[in-house]
Amino acid sequence: MSEQTETTSSTAAQRPEVNTESSGGQFEGKTVLESRDLDVYYGETQALQDVSLQIPEKQVTAMIGPSGCGKSTFLRCLNRMNDLVDTAHIEGDVFFNGKNIYADDVESVALRRRIGMVFQHPNPFPKTIYDNVAYGLRVQNNEVTDDIIEDSLRRAALWDEVKDQLDTSALDLSGGQQQRLCIARAIAVDPDVILMDEPASALDPIATSKIEDLIEELAEEYTVVIVTHNMQQAARISDKTAVFLTGGELVEFDDTNKIFENPENQRVEDYITGKFG
Amino acid sequence: MAAETDPTFDGGSELRRRKLLGQVFEGVLVASTLVGVLALVALFVLIGNDALGPAEADASWFLLYFVTLVAPTSVYTLLVRRDEVASSINGLSFATVFGSLIGSAVVYVVVDSVRPHDVAIYLVVGSLFPALVLAYNRITGGSHYTGPALPVSILFGLVSARILYPFIIPVISIVADWILFVVVVTGPVAAGLGLFVTSRWSRRYGAVTAVAVLGATLATAGVAITQGIDPALSVVLVSVVAGPVAVVSLDTFKRRETGRYGLLGPWLLIGGIVAGAWLERQLGIEGLETWLTPTLLLNSWSSFRPEQAGIYPQLVGSVLVVGTMAVLSFPVGVGAAIYLEEYAPSTGWRGRLATALDVNISNLAGVPSVVYGLLGLALFQNFFGVAPWLPRALGLKPSLVIAAAATLGLLILPIVIVSSQEALRSVPDELRQGSYGLGASRWQTIRNVVLPEAVPGILTGMILALGRAIGETAPLVIIGVATTTYSAPEGVFGSAAALPLQIFASAANSIPEYRTGVVAAASVILLATMLIMNSTAILIRNRYENN
Amino acid sequence: MSDREMTTLQRDGVAVTKERLYRLLLAGCAALTLAVTSGIIIALLGGTVSFFSEVSIVAYLTGTEWSPVINGKFGVLPLLSGTLVITVVSAVVALPIGLSIAVYLSEYATPKVRSVLKPALEILAAIPTVVYGYFALVYVTPFLDDVLPLDFGTFNALSAGVAVGLVIIPMVSSISEDAISSVPDSLRNAAYGLGSTKFDVSTKVVVPAATSGIVSSYVLALSRAIGETMIVVIAAGLSPKMPFFPDVLKNLTNSVQTITSGIVQVAGAENASGVLLNAMFALGMTLFVLTLTMNILAEAVRRRYREEYS
Repeated sequence: MSEQTETTSSTAAQRPEVNTESSGGQFEGKTVLESRDLDVYYGETQALQDVSLQIPEKQVTAMIGPSGCGKSTFLRCLNRMNDLVDTAHIEGDVFFNGKNIYADDVESVALRRRIGMVFQHPNPFPKTIYDNVAYGLRVQNNEVTDDIIEDSLRRAALWDEVKDQLDTSALDLSGGQQQRLCIARAIAVDPDVILMDEPASALDPIATSKIEDLIEELAEEYTVVIVTHNMQQAARISDKTAVFLTGGELVEFDDTNKIFENPENQRVEDYITGKFG
Repeated sequence: MAAETDPTFDGGSELRRRKLLGQVFEGVLVASTLVGVLALVALFVLIGNDALGPAEADASWFLLYFVTLVAPTSVYTLLVRRDEVASSINGLSFATVFGSLIGSAVVYVVVDSVRPHDVAIYLVVGSLFPALVLAYNRITGGSHYTGPALPVSILFGLVSARILYPFIIPVISIVADWILFVVVVTGPVAAGLGLFVTSRWSRRYGAVTAVAVLGATLATAGVAITQGIDPALSVVLVSVVAGPVAVVSLDTFKRRETGRYGLLGPWLLIGGIVAGAWLERQLGIEGLETWLTPTLLLNSWSSFRPEQAGIYPQLVGSVLVVGTMAVLSFPVGVGAAIYLEEYAPSTGWRGRLATALDVNISNLAGVPSVVYGLLGLALFQNFFGVAPWLPRALGLKPSLVIAAAATLGLLILPIVIVSSQEALRSVPDELRQGSYGLGASRWQTIRNVVLPEAVPGILTGMILALGRAIGETAPLVIIGVATTTYSAPEGVFGSAAALPLQIFASAANSIPEYRTGVVAAASVILLATMLIMNSTAILIRNRYENN
Repeated sequence: MSDREMTTLQRDGVAVTKERLYRLLLAGCAALTLAVTSGIIIALLGGTVSFFSEVSIVAYLTGTEWSPVINGKFGVLPLLSGTLVITVVSAVVALPIGLSIAVYLSEYATPKVRSVLKPALEILAAIPTVVYGYFALVYVTPFLDDVLPLDFGTFNALSAGVAVGLVIIPMVSSISEDAISSVPDSLRNAAYGLGSTKFDVSTKVVVPAATSGIVSSYVLALSRAIGETMIVVIAAGLSPKMPFFPDVLKNLTNSVQTITSGIVQVAGAENASGVLLNAMFALGMTLFVLTLTMNILAEAVRRRYREEYS
């Protein structure tokens, strides 16, 4: 195991409630999400091995790695989406603002109201554009106002394209627009964190670049965690990068620049330079 | 190599032989398929021929209806088929006109046989509490309690209606029937149409619509009274048929630029029949010698005079039994499907339980219908011999509408569950994930995302289940519902009756006019009901699959 | 931000309770299906046990006379014989035709033909059986009398059996077709690649590969034929008979009574009570055991073929 991951996990184990990372000075700002010794099993198969890392506030943290490396599994642990998989079994802890989200008194539904999610394939509901954005507010019993809808769509860079067709079906939009609608839908409820599971992998290059621009803007207000199999994308938009390799092992986690220019672990370097993966 | 050197090798004739064999085989397949189709055609043609008696009609009769009915509708159909917009408007128009016609017949017949007073008391008192809950919800902007409170308040309302019944009935029995029809039928229809128009246009138009429906109904009733006709039927027709048809037509006219002529479809059909009938009488043309007459539809049964025999009580009975069954069985069936598809995990003891339930349901679907009859008998006769006092204390007997409905409800439960499960399974998981990701709970996800998507599939299954229940005979015979009935059931606690039972009772009647006349006509009605239901289900399914 | 920090990750208790309530309610709906099965078993068992306390089980299973109302004779063999006759006739009609339709639909028919045939078959299955019974009695029997050189009674097993066969054709064809179309295309392509004709592929590759599914459809359809009631009651009459042998054709031209029509006859008897009423439940139990066994068998066979290709 690399020196880097060891440092991360040992510091975390000592001081869960302290959010500012002190060692090495590479973690500026507050930690929002932190996983400690996280193991995930699907039935008999282990999908994540002993993953410990800290996700800083209002930055873009990217998870990269070859397919089947557990990066999406890790993302789904952060808002307990894995609860919906019957065979999933989780050991270890995840802290959200210092609170263990796998504690008995935490309701996964309440957690997901604070940690939103955008999926690989655009999945707008077969409702109107307006109702899609309002959905989260409605299920959380919050007031829906036209201002919130407009603001969310503006922040998702979609307002100008759809403002005259808010009451038409969301399914009439193009794939890229649908994905931005899903982002608008997620930010309408004003979460702390937005998780994105390969949000651009199903889109064409133009739509992808729009989503990438959007992610960078979102990081000014939200903590963004993004899973991607596209290393260039991670390099372009993320501040921190975590590299997972086969078997669900977190091999290295550091500033994106460092990972891509001077990784400490040989396997990471091999992966980045395309020797495998 | 051998083939090249010897071009006349045996493969040539061998190949030809095999080709011939293949053709014979395909011929056999087509022939057996045709046997199945021909049997179906023979059934419809033979029974239809006896019921309608076209052989007696004059050649000029066919010519007349060709001119008034067949020719115009054929030309129209060809036109409409070319234009996609018109064809969709045509479908909507047919659904509205004939749907509301059937709806008005059912509503009138049921309210009339259950007695409008009773319906009015239960409807008005029963909806009082749910209305209060909804109003509270509206004012406070919703709370956690309104969801569960709604069914509880409905139950509460029905119970209080039952308690208040003896106090209200002397007061309300002074009121004329047709006014109660206005309360029971026109009220809800006007409100519903008003809300529909409000959602499509504006609140003002909605209010205008509601008032217009009410006004038109009252005006018609007034005219009917001055003409000395019973106003109740015209109240129902104006509210249930004219109201929706007018709203849908106007709505289509305003929204669509092209294809408006698609609205004409049902009217060409109805107009053709009316014009044909009028001319037939005017010109004195010899028409069909049909058993499918108003007498058949509106009279009570007669065991000795076939020309006077009617199936009105049986029709009312079938509608009441199957309607009650739907109320009892559909919610449970859909609920069970939701649990099995959306809640039940795949692992652990709950997972094993769910698997056991699935196996159990598929076995239930294979249990012969007579056995369900025996279950109904044991349940409502003496409660499995355990508590014979229980059915009696509840005022239940196996031959009542409610008992028949419950028995059929248990019979169709597996059908409803399996088709609802299929519909739920076809909702993409991505939608559920999206909803959970926004912090929706499981129930919120089901209610707001999964169910709306699954509705067409669930509806298809329900219609097919209704079609199955309408023709079901054996369980009703077993629980002891009278096979021949002379009066319609008086509400859900009245004695049951059903159309297939009468067919059963009279199929072997010694008077030939029954065998090849009355029963054939009754069978045609049953077959037509089944056909309409099945084609509606198929239409919904196709539309849903295309989208 | 500070406000949000304070909010916990718990949902309010009412919402959680509400979720539990809904879950419980829906689970209750699902559990009701278990209650239905138990209800059927309890109902049948109760009547059956009382019945066998009065009539010996040996007399029931080996008796050759069924005359419950008049003579109090409760031998089930004549009813089993009638059920067998009807089932055999319906099988002769439905099994070959159903399989042919299945092969035709999945291997030969164009999409347009399919789009007409499939709904037609659905209608064949959806016609109320009471109408089939009426059809058999009033139309099929006279037709058979005209066509065949046999002397048919008004009520006879052949026309009822043919009508039952019509009812179960769609069952055979749709389940068999499912089985046939789940045979992977790679198998077909391999056979075509070896120079087989369509006939060869259908008869030597596809149908054998789908055997267990086809067998399963046969068993299910026969189970349905055994449980069919109204057709038999209306068209086959109500006179229980032991099989005619060696004059086998008399089995077809005569009236027979099946288990199901035995139940209906007792139900229709005036003031059925006591042992007569219980006899109905004993017959119901016999029918239930028979059909359940066949359904489980069909499911077991079907499960095997699912494992083969998936």
